[in-house]
Amino acid sequence: MSAGIPPLSGLPKPQAKALNCPKCGAAITLHSFGQAVTVVCGSCHTILDAKDPKLAILQQFEATTHEVKPLIPLGTRGKLAGTDYEAIGFQRRSTKVDGIAYCWHEYVLFNPYKGTRYLSEYNGHWNDISICKTLPTAEFDGAATANYLGETYKHFQSADASTDFVLGEFPWQVRVGEQAAVTDYVHPPRVLSSEKLDKEVTWSIGEYMYGREIWDAFKLPGAPPEAMGVYENQPSPVAINVTGIWVAFAAFTVFLLALMAGFDMHAKKEPVLHETFQLNRADARGEASFVTDVFELTGHAATVEVKTSAPVDNHWIYLNYALINQDTGQAWDFGREVSYYHGYDSDGSWSEGKQTDAVVIPSVPPGHYYLRIEPEADPLLPGLLYSVEVTHDVPVFGIYGIAFVALLVPAVIISFRAYTFERSRWSESDHPPMELSNMSSSSGDSE
Amino acid sequence: MFRKFYLLYGALVLSTAAFGQYRGWSLDTINQLKNVPKSVRDNPGSYRAVYGGYHHYTGGK
Repeated sequence: MSAGIPPLSGLPKPQAKALNCPKCGAAITLHSFGQAVTVVCGSCHTILDAKDPKLAILQQFEATTHEVKPLIPLGTRGKLAGTDYEAIGFQRRSTKVDGIAYCWHEYVLFNPYKGTRYLSEYNGHWNDISICKTLPTAEFDGAATANYLGETYKHFQSADASTDFVLGEFPWQVRVGEQAAVTDYVHPPRVLSSEKLDKEVTWSIGEYMYGREIWDAFKLPGAPPEAMGVYENQPSPVAINVTGIWVAFAAFTVFLLALMAGFDMHAKKEPVLHETFQLNRADARGEASFVTDVFELTGHAATVEVKTSAPVDNHWIYLNYALINQDTGQAWDFGREVSYYHGYDSDGSWSEGKQTDAVVIPSVPPGHYYLRIEPEADPLLPGLLYSVEVTHDVPVFGIYGIAFVALLVPAVIISFRAYTFERSRWSESDHPPMELSNMSSSSGDSE
Repeated sequence: MFRKFYLLYGALVLSTAAFGQYRGWSLDTINQLKNVPKSVRDNPGSYRAVYGGYHHYTGGK
């Protein structure tokens, strides 16, 4: 609050003159001192000239629908932007797009020192609105963009708005049925609106507010109506992050590649065993297990890769392996198949399997090890030579693949959420997303 | 807010990847046993392989 300006709540309530509606005689209280231009009788809905001491009748209207009850009762006081305001006027306005009427509500708020500001509400979405202090620049009515205080606003919608219902005091000549050309430009969370009535253009700037903020500001009972859909200047919960997220993702990917290169360079990839064995047909029938020489693994716990190569041709061999620590009795037991089949049929040539197989044993501590190998083979397989290579400390590139996916998934989800949010926003505008406009035009063609 | 979370999350992912690589994590699942008798070295047939009796693939397409 500005220095030296006492809060409204600290002031005595304004004393209104004893006014009565000239039409129905109901008492009328003016809250905005001399600033009201028109005042509406709450009983008979007669619009009166507030500047006239006799309250000349300007217009009388029938509420076309049932009387609208303001969500913020007139006379309610609340604090907005650090200043106390009182709700003194209320109007319902509507616009028709493709034959469908869209209604919203506007509230006139008044502070004797700060003047008026406005609140609008549409489907639970609120805006705190004030008249622009400087003139925005737009090349023409409905131009693609408008500029205000160094910010660029995108054209959202142009429509004719009519006033359907009024109540309370207004600092302008309000009339029911009055039509104004309204153009909205958005730069969430702000909306820049021009309202053209005859030759007069009024620019206002609004900032999105959540219903809960309004309820807290005016200390209204209960809960605000739930916001439906996405409003034109509703701030996206994710949009501001999308670019930053992708920048971070790119940086993480670079780090990941650096990690991969670093670990690949520093991995020992130390061959600790490379032996070739003869598989005899007799091995396939009887006990054929044997053990290799002992080899030593040094350093910290690391991976051990066991690679098997066998020149099988339309055959298989299967090797029961056990990597056994000679000192501790700890063992890693696994079976690996090497099979390779190929042929030719009506679909052409085909092949399955490979003549090599590799497996990576995780986190093997240093120590003295040997392999126990128990081969099995296709009984039709003639004897063959197969080789076993054991390499200590090999990089596992799959870990980087998983990390990459783990980094990518949240970025994609966020981008998708931001995209769908913006798509919902702009689907209500004069510039719907391309696919929506195509859909509507194709459905129009088919009719 | 989410950017901060993503930065922390990304740092955690990278740290986990680096730690896993250093500790020798693998994507292969290997059965681990303890206290294999030392006699296996002299008598390999005394060890019973976990994967013995595997049903093998016996033909191509």
